Amino acid sequence: MTQLLLFNITNGLIIGAFYVLMAIGLSLILNLSNVINFAHGGFLVVGGYIAYTLEPYLGFWGALIASPFLTAIIGLAVEKTLISRVYGRDPLYSLLLTFGLAFILEDGTRVIWGANGKPFTIPAALAQPLSNQFFFITSYRLFMVVVVVVTIVLLFMLLRYTRAGIRIRAGTLDLETVSALGVNVRALRSLNFAVGIFLAGLSGVLAGGQLGLEPTMGAGLLMPSFIAIIVGGVGSLTGTLVGGLLIGVASGVTAVFFPAASEAIMYVLMAAVLMVRPRGLFGEEGMLT
Amino acid sequence: MSKLFKPDSRRKLAALVAIWTALVLAPFWMPLLGGYTALGTRVLVLGLAAMSVNFLLGFTGVLSFGHAAWFGIGAYGCGMILKFVALSTPLGILAGTLAGGLAGAVLGALIVRRRGVYFAMVTIAFGQVFYYIAFQWSSVTGGDDGLRPFYRQPLHLGIATLDILNDATAFYYFVLVCFALASAAMAFILRSPFGRTMLAIRENERRARFLGIPIELHIWIAFTLSCFFMAYAGSLYALVNNFADPRGLHYSQSGDFVMMAVMGGMRSFWGPLLGAILFVVFQDYVSSVTINWQIFIGFLFVLVVLFFPRGILGAIRHRVAS
Amino acid sequence: MSLLQVKNVSKHFGSLIAVNNISMTVKPGELRAIIGPNGAGKTTFFNLITGFFRPTAGRIIFEGRDVTELSPARRVWCGMARTFQVTEVFPELTVRENLRIAVEVASGMRLRPWLSQIDDEKIRGRVRELIDMSGLAAKADRQVGELSHGDQRATEIMMALALNPRLLLLDEPTAGMGDQETYEITQLIRRLHKDGKLTIVLIEHDMRVVFHLADRIMVLDQGKFLAEGTPPEIAANKAVQTAYLGQAA
Repeated sequence: MTQLLLFNITNGLIIGAFYVLMAIGLSLILNLSNVINFAHGGFLVVGGYIAYTLEPYLGFWGALIASPFLTAIIGLAVEKTLISRVYGRDPLYSLLLTFGLAFILEDGTRVIWGANGKPFTIPAALAQPLSNQFFFITSYRLFMVVVVVVTIVLLFMLLRYTRAGIRIRAGTLDLETVSALGVNVRALRSLNFAVGIFLAGLSGVLAGGQLGLEPTMGAGLLMPSFIAIIVGGVGSLTGTLVGGLLIGVASGVTAVFFPAASEAIMYVLMAAVLMVRPRGLFGEEGMLT
Repeated sequence: MSKLFKPDSRRKLAALVAIWTALVLAPFWMPLLGGYTALGTRVLVLGLAAMSVNFLLGFTGVLSFGHAAWFGIGAYGCGMILKFVALSTPLGILAGTLAGGLAGAVLGALIVRRRGVYFAMVTIAFGQVFYYIAFQWSSVTGGDDGLRPFYRQPLHLGIATLDILNDATAFYYFVLVCFALASAAMAFILRSPFGRTMLAIRENERRARFLGIPIELHIWIAFTLSCFFMAYAGSLYALVNNFADPRGLHYSQSGDFVMMAVMGGMRSFWGPLLGAILFVVFQDYVSSVTINWQIFIGFLFVLVVLFFPRGILGAIRHRVAS
Repeated sequence: MSLLQVKNVSKHFGSLIAVNNISMTVKPGELRAIIGPNGAGKTTFFNLITGFFRPTAGRIIFEGRDVTELSPARRVWCGMARTFQVTEVFPELTVRENLRIAVEVASGMRLRPWLSQIDDEKIRGRVRELIDMSGLAAKADRQVGELSHGDQRATEIMMALALNPRLLLLDEPTAGMGDQETYEITQLIRRLHKDGKLTIVLIEHDMRVVFHLADRIMVLDQGKFLAEGTPPEIAANKAVQTAYLGQAA
């Protein structure tokens, strides 16, 4: 019984780590620019497919590294041409815009790469299970967790120790003052968005290795990201981190007792948090409300 | 916006007469334009849904991006009555409306303290809860396949029987009457003192608060009312298709309704209906021409946001004013 | 018997002390002005009185009733109304519509689904009254957002008046106005004070307005109370002069 529980908690943490990667990118964009990036899932898909295209030339590792950067560049282009035009307007418009973008990205993927799923080959070394006892932990899944951990750590270090990072954090709290201090807010937002999309692209590559590639794979990952942010608290990256892990674990544990409800538990958790502590676990009162 | 304060303006009356004439005569002029009656019925219902979203969005200034949930609950509620309980169309509509409206009332109480982007996020997430339930609870809802079979039942009106099941024209007029009732109720509310407080909240929430309006309460009431209207539209939609679809609860459906309202003109009462007509026509055309119709819808969204944020009626009004 | 008693009220924002232990008593019928250099905490003080924030310490007593825990909307119902430094009105609605909403809410009709003919007439009448009082009759059916600064401010003041308050709080009513508009608003406020027997507290930077209207003046500096007294007393006060290189009219 405890073995099963352990299995599911660990499984949950692995899933949670993945949710965190997606959700943090979304959270970054939301916090600084007040934009809900519906197209985040679309960028995930694009990231995965770009890796697929690059793999024959650069191999798995090359594709893993190059694809997020390329995806981020596409994201940057989108931000500069489209999204920047709706900053400062009613949030309605950024929602509709990213919504439309999501459609374009998903269907665009279909047009370019076809509607059928594509396989994404991972190195044989990663496909082996680590041990016979814990057969569910393939090297690949562990590898995913490692990548996520490394990325998140790098990100937090970036935000804490680099000038741009500090400005992003300050901008999340008080963009007006940051602007008044002479910081180029437009460039900051673009950079922030690109970082967020980088994370989405990376998620796409990792997901592709795990599940194979499909044009619809992004949409299913958007909701858990939302929930992670709501549970963790809007405006707090730490909150998103905790939120993502929490819903991953909750999902894993529920799978032991009520397998059918393992997805529903995320929503239940969200409803519970909203009733008891509406600002989220780490959210600040007044953030984006 | 003065239309809500001076209902007796002559120009407004003429427009109203024109609109209703067109609606009443639709089964006759639609085939001339390549349309057909059932399409009109569908558009009417979707238009009502868009107007219900706009009740909240355009008139109260509250952005709910998960409103399709109430639409879907209304559809399932109506369908379930017809399938499991009683062969009565009016009962189906009543049940669907109550189910969606009450669910909205409960949920609204939870989220009404949030605003702006965060509020939108939560409405999306909660909307998805219901989508998820409709999908998973397949023993009751039919899961991915949707709820079927059930059929809209003929109406026995004492003196005559209206065969709305088989007679497309009769059904259209039935839906038109339902639409008329709902839109009249909506207009009535918007013209009332309460309706004016909704406008106040939209225009300037801080000033509304400092006039003594309890904002959260009023937003909750407006939210609940719009959920009732939405569920009512959903019930009608179930009747249109004789089918309830889980996809009707997905946030992309919500997005479509918001787009209809924006396209037609959020600040106008009839804007969303116009938006629904344009959207449905566009979507039907594009999906019949190419398999990648989603890209075109996506571009539509982008174009409207960037170039026509006021919508068609909004742009006209702006042109007239200046 | 005082109308408003503010007792030892403070407001901390983290380590920033915006309002530091200030007390104020206002008698019915008085016109009190609050002045002070920029950053003195005047608007924050107003925000505490009207319920925009909760004070970190202290209490606010209005007509003998402790309103410290009440929301802004409830304080309006108790009889307080305010205007803002940046005019807060309903920009896309006309002057008449703005006032109509204020009157309806003040008459307790905000939840009504419909109005009887009689009620409707009563409300229209009251709106007409307010429009005439303000001198905005010619512009009553234009969108407020398109009117001049001064007219927007006048509309806002009339909206506050529509609430039948016993205490009117005006935050820099002549901010950003030229001489003519300042004169008109000052006259309006004076009329309201005398005719309506209203108690008014206003924040002002324009010393001409202050010395023209005020019965008593309170001076704040850097969140702290500096001085209080009649206009001549304040004009002669050395500390005020140093803190606030202002000029008596």
